[in-house]
Amino acid sequence: MTAAAPTVPDALETLRDRVAELSFGLAVPGRADAAREARAVVDQVDDYLLPRLRDLDAPLLAVVGGSTGAGKSTLVNSLLHADVTRAGVLRPTTRAPVLVCAPADRAAFAGDRVLPHLARTTGAPGGPDDGHGALRLVAHDALPAGLALLDAPDVDSVVTANRDLAAQLLAAADLWIFVTTAARYADAVPWDLLHTAVQRGTAVAVVLDRVPPEARDEVADDLAGMLRRAGLSAARLFVVAERPLDGGLLPAEEIAPLRAWLLGLAADQEQRDAVVRQTLAGALDSLSDRVTGLLAAEEQQHAAARTLQEAADAAYARARQEVDDAVAGGALLRGEVLARWQEFVGTGEWMRGLQASVGRLRDRIGSAMTGRRTSPEQVQASLGSSVADLLQAAADSAAERTATSWRSLPGGTALLAGRERDLEAASPDFPDAAVDEVRDWQGEVLELVRSEGAGKRARARWLSWGVNGAGAVVMVAVFASTGGLTGGEVAVAGGTTAVGQRLLEAVLGDAAVRSLAARARADLRERAGRLLDTERARFADLVTAAAPAPDGITRLRAAADGLATARRSR
Amino acid sequence: MSRREPALADRLGALREAVEVADGRLAVPEVGAARALLAKAGAREALGDATVVALAGATGSGKSTLFNALVGAEVSSPGVRRPTTGTTHAAVWGGDGADRLLDWLEVSRRHRVEAPDPALDGLVLLDLPDHDSVRLEHRLEVDRLVELVDVLIWVLDPQKYADAAVHDRYLAPLAGHAGVLLVVLNQVDRLDEPAGVACRDDLRRLLDGEGLAATPVLPVSARTGAGLPELRAVLERRVTARRAATDRLAADARGVAGALAAHCGTPSRAGRDPGRPGPELVEALAAAAGVPAVVSAVERSARRRGARSTGWPLLRWTARLRPDPLRRLHLGDEEARTSLPQPGAVAAAGLRTAVRHARDEVGADLPQAWRDELRRTTEVTEERLADRLDRAVAGADLGPDRTPVWQRATGVVQWLLALVGLAGALWLVALAVLGWLQLDGVLPVPEVSGLPLPTVLLGGGLLAGALLALVARPLVRAGARRRARRARRRLTDRVAEVARAEVAEPLAETRADHDRFCAAVQRAGR
Ligand SMILES: Nc1nc2c(ncn2[C@@H]2O[C@H](COP(=O)(O)OP(=O)(O)OP(=O)(O)O)[C@@H](O)[C@H]2O)c(=O)[nH]1
Ligand SMILES: Nc1nc2c(ncn2[C@@H]2O[C@H](COP(=O)(O)OP(=O)(O)O)[C@@H](O)[C@H]2O)c(=O)[nH]1
Ligand SMILES: [Mg+2]
Ligand SMILES: [Mg+2]
Repeated sequence: MTAAAPTVPDALETLRDRVAELSFGLAVPGRADAAREARAVVDQVDDYLLPRLRDLDAPLLAVVGGSTGAGKSTLVNSLLHADVTRAGVLRPTTRAPVLVCAPADRAAFAGDRVLPHLARTTGAPGGPDDGHGALRLVAHDALPAGLALLDAPDVDSVVTANRDLAAQLLAAADLWIFVTTAARYADAVPWDLLHTAVQRGTAVAVVLDRVPPEARDEVADDLAGMLRRAGLSAARLFVVAERPLDGGLLPAEEIAPLRAWLLGLAADQEQRDAVVRQTLAGALDSLSDRVTGLLAAEEQQHAAARTLQEAADAAYARARQEVDDAVAGGALLRGEVLARWQEFVGTGEWMRGLQASVGRLRDRIGSAMTGRRTSPEQVQASLGSSVADLLQAAADSAAERTATSWRSLPGGTALLAGRERDLEAASPDFPDAAVDEVRDWQGEVLELVRSEGAGKRARARWLSWGVNGAGAVVMVAVFASTGGLTGGEVAVAGGTTAVGQRLLEAVLGDAAVRSLAARARADLRERAGRLLDTERARFADLVTAAAPAPDGITRLRAAADGLATARRSR
Repeated sequence: MSRREPALADRLGALREAVEVADGRLAVPEVGAARALLAKAGAREALGDATVVALAGATGSGKSTLFNALVGAEVSSPGVRRPTTGTTHAAVWGGDGADRLLDWLEVSRRHRVEAPDPALDGLVLLDLPDHDSVRLEHRLEVDRLVELVDVLIWVLDPQKYADAAVHDRYLAPLAGHAGVLLVVLNQVDRLDEPAGVACRDDLRRLLDGEGLAATPVLPVSARTGAGLPELRAVLERRVTARRAATDRLAADARGVAGALAAHCGTPSRAGRDPGRPGPELVEALAAAAGVPAVVSAVERSARRRGARSTGWPLLRWTARLRPDPLRRLHLGDEEARTSLPQPGAVAAAGLRTAVRHARDEVGADLPQAWRDELRRTTEVTEERLADRLDRAVAGADLGPDRTPVWQRATGVVQWLLALVGLAGALWLVALAVLGWLQLDGVLPVPEVSGLPLPTVLLGGGLLAGALLALVARPLVRAGARRRARRARRRLTDRVAEVARAEVAEPLAETRADHDRFCAAVQRAGR
């Protein structure tokens, strides 16, 4: 029935991979925390959960952690009554963790079973510091088999790497031996860690070190109260009074209770198992909450990506609308284009084919008198550059609008960083692209006109005007046939647009002209849309590159469900 | 001792100027910080030159113990439970008026030092709560007072001297306040001699790395009293100088100015008149305003009129078939809208692009906040630009609206020639009538070199008229072109004026404000 159900380690591995895939690429508030948490989950699975699940009988790893100067290294040395790790007055002293185990357990820690990312070294204490990527492995007789002690770097000094490494090591522990002092026990930073331990159900023992003998009871009571209120009443509390050190070691009687407890733990398989299982179960249980937190952060990434994408979409949709309006509203027929058109039609070149003789005569004379000729190519050229100008301004504004709104959106500023000036305007090659696209459009219109005119009865007349002339009329009709010109402007145009169009209708037929114009307009819109899309892609690509994978959430949720199922069916 | 430092008043004055310039122009948080500092400075300066010194540090470092040691009485009770001190305590050495100061600091636990050391007269010592314990309210109180006091003594100890909590949150950000800070390494009695020296050196190294090389480190022991005389001496120097408050405010001003300086670009290049619009802008604006259309109308109108007056009278009516293109634009009245085509989407696009280029040129080397401001400036302008341009064109004087004398004279000659022709024609008609009436030869017909005079009159009149019209045509054209050129010049001048007033000058003003802002910021931060 559960033939296909994965084992817990397999399900865990899947979950780990899913978490490792999260990129948190958008710099939204809380991004750094989420990324750190994701890394912590991955590390804990690698460092602790998988090795522990695969070998429940492996030696118990007790990590001695806490504030700088609390006396962790001194404590470890004193417990072993040997100099295995360096203690010192300079803060922080310990940077590379030191793992001490019984010679018999050496094999369990020498390989990459636990903490696989830390290289093992075996130098003597007091030698050069091994740095943060290394773990010094010491086998020592003083320690019974089944128990290993790890002297961790501090959790609160200015050395950031120490803090990160300490958190990672604590997450890899079967048991925390949390060292604090009479001066430290109310510090916020270690308490944050203790609260985490409570959430994760980690087995904790607290050592209150360096207590002035006279204040022993008062301080111990105060701390015990704090532990109780934090839900750590089950944690053992060991108090070590501050006395002069003997050769750098604490007096044996001060640490006797702690020592006895640890040795007992090592000797008692059952008790050790209980500790191992408590921490393991707690860590596994807490995973679902931690993954929920990661899912929320991932959701936030998605939302931010969506918002950024929408801002760009809106800006470019508006640009497209501007262009559409200008095209449909006849706005292009003003100014330069209108002047050229008037000249073109006004010279009578068009009228030559017209049968109405008065107009013809008048225009011929007019043309003879002014001697001016505007070719259809000039009309097309002015129309073309107008369209290109329009596209340029639309693309510029859209880029600027997008950049401006991104600056106020979560994650937007970081995406723009270093590219602000490029992204505030259309891309440098946009003008050329726009001109090319408009030229192609005009070619397309001429092609349309040519094929439309080919089969017409009035071919002879048609040819006398030239495809170019007819094309110019269609182009103008694209912008005029929706009635963009107001009455006054039609008067300025001398009714010539309408005349030209009617003329064309006479040749090609009313419906044909309308469909030609409609097709030409649709083509222009499509081209404008394409150009603006390319521009929008500059923004869209930035978001896409930083945005989370679309199915990341589903996959992560499925992996978390998979782990829950695997645990239940065990 | 002559100090090169500018006086605090100058600094604050410069900062005030920067804030005034930035007001409504720069939407950045640093301006808010500057404004807050000015308010704080005003309040603090009014409260006299007593020296407010605060003991700050982690829980258990020995602030209260040190405080008591300096006061010489157990005013703030130290303790073994952490954290002990929850409210700020103040001790006042002599001096009066400290009450108002402490009211402003909102410190209510006050102690007047009995038999104060006259050297410390005017010292107000504060024992702050901790900043690193689980009690968040302690940290908030520390953060509040760290902003207000004149001198900060950071009390560290061998256990906590390298904590991220103090270095990352307080010491490193106070790098600009090195002169206002004092660091003591307390509890040195817990270390033997070499360890104490090593510890102090390590702390020194940390502080140097944070830019606090100028801050002294004093090893002390509040419990044994070691190092306390040195600490007291330093305090005496600061208190008697009566400059701590000013120094603190100056350091604050430097810090705020440094933050504001992030919004400064390079100052404007000298030489070029920033308020002059570039040719590209003027040209684009002229195009948007329809100047080419008007110029072409002027030329066509002049040509049409010339044709009418110099043309062959028999064909003049054709010119009247089309209305005067210039008249149709209804120019000449600045109040009325012209009938120039409304600046459509294309013209508006050209306008926007031109304005944007002008803006980019002005703001090329400015940081984001100022370029945003330039954008806002032109956004306001763009709205009324079209209207202003229209008025500029409408109100342009396009030159005298009359037909040139030579053209009128030619017209008269044309009429005369036409009359001559007419006379010839009438004569011929008369002759024909006479002929019909069989009265040939009743009147002698004079001859001119063998041709009858009426025929010569008719033919010559017509021919000469046609010739004259032909000869006049290029001249009319040249005249029309001249008029067009003149009109273009005048129109362009008017458009350039609009470009200056509506675009170039607002941009230049913003740019000038930037320069003023930066100069002020620089003076404030020197
Ligand atoms: N007198 C006395 N000194 C102690 C005691 N415990 C620690 N020390 C001293 O405190 C200093 C710090 O001790 P370490 O063991 O190096 O502290 P740590 O917790 O390992 O510190 P990091 O490695 O920096 O995280 C050393 O100089 C020790 O000698 C104690 O109980 N009594
Ligand atoms: N050995 C030693 N102990 C000190 C010294 N200064 C303070 N202490 C002790 O450290 C503890 C905390 O002192 P307290 O003044 O309350 O610290 P605060 O929290 O910084 O105000 C007390 O038990 C003091 O007795 C010192 O210079 N040397
Ligand atoms: Mg250590
Ligand atoms: Mg205190």
